[in-house]
Amino acid sequence: MPLLELANLRKDFGGLRAVDDVSLTVPEGAIIGLIGPNGSGKSTLIDLIAGSTDLTAGKVKFDGEDISDLPANAVFHKGIARGYQEPTLYFKMTVLDNLLLPVKDQRGEHPWHAPRWRSWQQEEQTHAEAALEVLRQVQLLPHYDTLASDLSGGQMKLLEIARALMGKPKLLLLDEPTAGVAPKLAYDIFQQIARLRDDHGITLLIVEHRLEILFDFVDYVYVMHLGNLLASGSAAEISAHATVREVYFGD
Amino acid sequence: MINIDIGATAIAILTLFGIYSLMAISLNLEYGIAGVPNFGQALFVSIGAYTAGITYTRVLPLLAGLDSVHPCGPTMGQALQLRSEIMAAQPAAGFINLALTLLVAAIVSGAVGFTVSYVTLRLKEEWFLALVLLVGGETVRIVVRGADNLICSHNGISGVAQPFYFLGDARSSSLMFMILCVALALIAYAYSQRLTRSPFGRMLKALRENEDVTRGLGKGISLARAQIMLIGSAIAAVGGVLFALNTGFVNTNDFVVNLTLDIWVMVVLGGIGNNRGALLGAALIAILDRFTQVAAITLNMSGSEIEFNYVRFIAFGIILLLMLRYRPGGLLPESPLTTNAHEVLRRARGAEPLSRRA
Repeated sequence: MPLLELANLRKDFGGLRAVDDVSLTVPEGAIIGLIGPNGSGKSTLIDLIAGSTDLTAGKVKFDGEDISDLPANAVFHKGIARGYQEPTLYFKMTVLDNLLLPVKDQRGEHPWHAPRWRSWQQEEQTHAEAALEVLRQVQLLPHYDTLASDLSGGQMKLLEIARALMGKPKLLLLDEPTAGVAPKLAYDIFQQIARLRDDHGITLLIVEHRLEILFDFVDYVYVMHLGNLLASGSAAEISAHATVREVYFGD
Repeated sequence: MINIDIGATAIAILTLFGIYSLMAISLNLEYGIAGVPNFGQALFVSIGAYTAGITYTRVLPLLAGLDSVHPCGPTMGQALQLRSEIMAAQPAAGFINLALTLLVAAIVSGAVGFTVSYVTLRLKEEWFLALVLLVGGETVRIVVRGADNLICSHNGISGVAQPFYFLGDARSSSLMFMILCVALALIAYAYSQRLTRSPFGRMLKALRENEDVTRGLGKGISLARAQIMLIGSAIAAVGGVLFALNTGFVNTNDFVVNLTLDIWVMVVLGGIGNNRGALLGAALIAILDRFTQVAAITLNMSGSEIEFNYVRFIAFGIILLLMLRYRPGGLLPESPLTTNAHEVLRRARGAEPLSRRA
């Protein structure tokens, strides 16, 4: 059984059909690439899976459960976390607080317990230690008490991924994880991403424009064009696909 | 010229400071921390005042073991005399009544704040709630004003005495009341600080910074915002009870939109999102208020035609414009959020030099 299953997904924005009858599956433990020219509906598809946008028609099945109508916060609790194309950190908070925010079921988030610090400090310490461990993995540990706004562009991207991890997701949706990052660092980011799968068993669905890097890491690629699924296959197959080359590279 | 009694002025300003602080801290939690634009602050303050108007006329006599007299209409004077006598002779009944008033006011106001926000925020965004509260506050005011038996319609209720009236001496009774107001304000401040620096405060600030992303990270928005509205509304109502006891008067005219704007000026002036800023804003407006009152009386007594009370509104407008233009963060701008997590970590790890920074 695939971890994620999209069946005939459709999304209309007024008269515009951004996603048109897309069906695809993501097997557990895989790294799946989602590519396509600008405006092909990739980001909308991510929004639909994550519950950030309501779908017009179709079905999203995750872990055997229909999550089509769940709001974004409920989808997160089911085990799907996402990153964004633009940096969406809480810039006025420290790196540590950015990481602690998404932790699920925090006692200190309840207004009754919140002012009684002793009731949640122990728990907070456990979460903070876990956050440091995640920071160590993405090599941001020395920055744990830095303001998020003081990080470099690449560090922000890493922090965003690290933040999503704090919710212990089974599936991580990433929308251009290397956008605006230097090529060398972009490769590093993908190595970190690959390690999430290898060390933590996290399944990944990645939208990415840097195909030369993406193709080194993915198990399977879906290509979107004008809201439709144009092709799918291994990285090698997609590279050689005539129609894909035509719409994507203009060959 | 009138003589200005420095001691009495200080007591009056500090009393106002305590009352205004409660209102400003409440709005700062709601708007400053959580980003909920509450334009109906006057409503929640008025709930406190109306509660006082009702309990001091209906419940107080029962607590003193006497029959209550209907406070409106022909028995108005008799009822006023009755509660004055009780407040003077039976301090215990007065204090129990005060505690009861504060409790009921906080519960009713909190329940209203929670319900209205939760329902509205689930339907629409937060600016719709702002509108609902603005209109709702005025609607409630007009309904209360039209009700003959609640707080005697437009006549209001006078002679709602301060709880320390039994001391007899006006100076010591107002001094004690001032201490009560300031103490409650400081408790509210300490509570808000703990709330702000907890995971709950972190979640609210995250919602304020980026609603969509925070929802995507698993946080339910409407509930969290309704919860802070519950807390904020309860604090505002406590301020409303003290407001009524301070003026000794419960009248719907005091709870027009102007009051809401005054509280917004305090928060914008002090520093949006900073609890300390709310205290500073409340202090400055308390001083300004007292100053304009004294100036208005002085001018009136010297036979001047100028109605100085209006200068207050002009001054508030100028303050608001200047602040928004030159110092939008307020006099004490919000500092970056550092939650208790940092201290927890530091304590757990000792002085381990994790950070590059000092």
